[in-house]
Amino acid sequence: MKTLEATKLADLAAALTAAGYRVIAPCQRGDQVHLECYQAGKTLRADVIPVNSAKDALFPRSEVIGRYRFEGNEFETVPVAPQAGKTVLLAVRPCDAAALAPLDAVFNWDYKDEFYNAHRDATTVVALACTAADDQCFCTSVGGSPDSTANADAVLRPADGGKRFILESLTDKGQAIAAAGQAVLTEGQAQADPPAQVAPAFDSAAVTAWAKDGFDSPLWKELSLACMGCGACAYTCPTCHCFDIQDEATRREGVRLRNWDACGFGLFTKHAGGHNPRHDQASRWRQRVMHKFAYFPERFEMLACTGCGRCGRLCGNGMSIREVCSQIEQAAQAGVK
Amino acid sequence: MVANINEIQSAAAALLNEGKVKLVLGYRVRGNDRVPAFVTQADQVGCLAYDSACTQNLAAYLRKGEVRSRMPLAVVARPEVMRSLMLLTAESQIAEGQVTVLAVDEQGFHGVLDLAGTAKLLNEQYARIAPDSSLMEQLAKIEAMTPQERSAFWSEQFEPCTRCYACRAACPGCFCERCIVEMNTPQWISTAAESHGNFAWHMIRAFHQAGRCVECGACQDACPQGIPLMLLNHFIAREVEREFDARSGYDPQAEPVIGSWKQDDKQEYIR
Amino acid sequence: MTQATTQTETKAEGFEPRIVAFVCNWCTYAGADLAGTSRLQYAPHVRIVKLPCTGRIDPLFILKAYEGGADAVLVSGCHPGDCHYTSGNYHARRRWTIFRRLLSLAGVEEGRLFFSWVSAAEGQKFADLINDVTAQVKAAGPFKHNPARRQAW
Repeated sequence: MKTLEATKLADLAAALTAAGYRVIAPCQRGDQVHLECYQAGKTLRADVIPVNSAKDALFPRSEVIGRYRFEGNEFETVPVAPQAGKTVLLAVRPCDAAALAPLDAVFNWDYKDEFYNAHRDATTVVALACTAADDQCFCTSVGGSPDSTANADAVLRPADGGKRFILESLTDKGQAIAAAGQAVLTEGQAQADPPAQVAPAFDSAAVTAWAKDGFDSPLWKELSLACMGCGACAYTCPTCHCFDIQDEATRREGVRLRNWDACGFGLFTKHAGGHNPRHDQASRWRQRVMHKFAYFPERFEMLACTGCGRCGRLCGNGMSIREVCSQIEQAAQAGVK
Repeated sequence: MVANINEIQSAAAALLNEGKVKLVLGYRVRGNDRVPAFVTQADQVGCLAYDSACTQNLAAYLRKGEVRSRMPLAVVARPEVMRSLMLLTAESQIAEGQVTVLAVDEQGFHGVLDLAGTAKLLNEQYARIAPDSSLMEQLAKIEAMTPQERSAFWSEQFEPCTRCYACRAACPGCFCERCIVEMNTPQWISTAAESHGNFAWHMIRAFHQAGRCVECGACQDACPQGIPLMLLNHFIAREVEREFDARSGYDPQAEPVIGSWKQDDKQEYIR
Repeated sequence: MTQATTQTETKAEGFEPRIVAFVCNWCTYAGADLAGTSRLQYAPHVRIVKLPCTGRIDPLFILKAYEGGADAVLVSGCHPGDCHYTSGNYHARRRWTIFRRLLSLAGVEEGRLFFSWVSAAEGQKFADLINDVTAQVKAAGPFKHNPARRQAW
């Protein structure tokens, strides 16, 4: 069994960096922990769920997807290849790894997204099993579990009371990680710590069932009253994948960019003529819940929520999927349409 | 929790019962968090809570259509929130009769006030809210840096910005129906979450706060990425006071700082 | 501007700064015109953008200039009291006072941002101003730490 001393996580990151990987790992940044590119000197934190999700590495917040040039009246497009270097997502939580399934599904649905897939193919996922959960975690309510290995190439399991990790390789990509990190890994025995207890928060099947006939429900207005309409929940969500296409150009040349966008913004659905079919925050929240719990299961037979709890942790107004879905479940039980 | 929380609850119940307001905007407890409470029935007032962890600026809800449609309403307001209400009055966003104030501070509840009464209380009791001393220290450090260091410092701070605009959403002063960053013909500020777009966004956000920011801290609390927005806000508020002798949120009749002028405004830097 | 930029960059010797000047139509632009018709020589490094009034000069214009790689920005209009639209320059002055301080905090130091009043009769002042600003920016060198600079995609 391959083990890694808990204090040597940064050494593993350094070894993988030396082996040519871009290592995305939970790094200390000020008071927070962010999933970002490891560099020598950064402190790694396996004990805190990072602010941002792992999707940033596969679906960057801004990505160049095209280039063009002007010369007088002439116009020329310049092909752009995805800039996808060999990447490892190191010590990401099972809920982040789980999110790759909905992302894979949507980026390969009617159109195979060249950019996402290039990043995805170049990425190795080393999950970190959770031995602790906080009051916002709800992976068990959406089909996940704190020690799930879904979509992971390797998994780090905390062991011996958090003193070390057991590294289990699950795929060839995972084997390559074990090989690249060999110098800092030890061969030995360790006792895996028990997984975190994540109490169920709501019954997702009940939410999906209610949502089927819930489009016109007056409940959305009440549910969404506290939402201020920012995109923080969508931008830290591991599964949210909406984007906007923008051109940035000078007189001579330009780039076409894919930037994140969010259904919580009023501008998201605003038409050029000024009409907005989702004219209030209630209809935007309905879309958010429907997309994750009704449309996605209908299309891909999976939920677009992995219960990471980020939306609940960051929203000062208490507008989390967890809370809203719990309220929907209660309404469903009470027979409220 | 403040000692006289019951008084807030009964004042809210009385306002609702007497039909003086249709909605009470307050705070409730959710685990370790405090979240906004929207109370429309007198029998729900028991959920209302207040303590120093109630940091959201509820005045920000006053630009939301779904909340405005429930005016007249009452707001549980600490001094910074009262200042926001004065600002919104000065900027013609709310008027007397639309908003009732349930005045609170860390000591407790201080009564039910109209906007004029709130102005009086603010100027008598909270005329000087001392800014956070650590903020001033940090700012002094930044100001002592070379331009190269300052540029590098802010690039580092703005780097994680995802442009979720939680800072804008949390701020009562950001009441524009359409924000400059949403103007896309032409696109003045790049919406890409990259260096130049992030820089332009944070400069313009801070600049538009001149004469508006009441230093409540809601934007920085709302920022998922931990960007120190209060450094910019405090700097702007300090400069506005130095240059124009103006402090936002104390005078409900005040003219906007940016948007008004005096013949003898300082201009020593103009050749 | 891109074309002009390429030309300056290809010059072999020395640093030739790119300075963007936002000026009002009625005073400073007329002052620049007077400098020209009076055959006054002044440094050729300034690209003038004419606007109806300094009141029309949004701080975003200044940011845009830096974004495009300007080494310095000059903003100029009518003297106080002389505004063609009565008070546009007074409004502008308030904005400048705060915005220049904010930019300074962010790393755009004083020598990268200039303000002036130049009337239609001040052709000589305009020429002197441009020469002086250009000399200062030349001495300061390229604006390498420009925090607003558009990223190379």
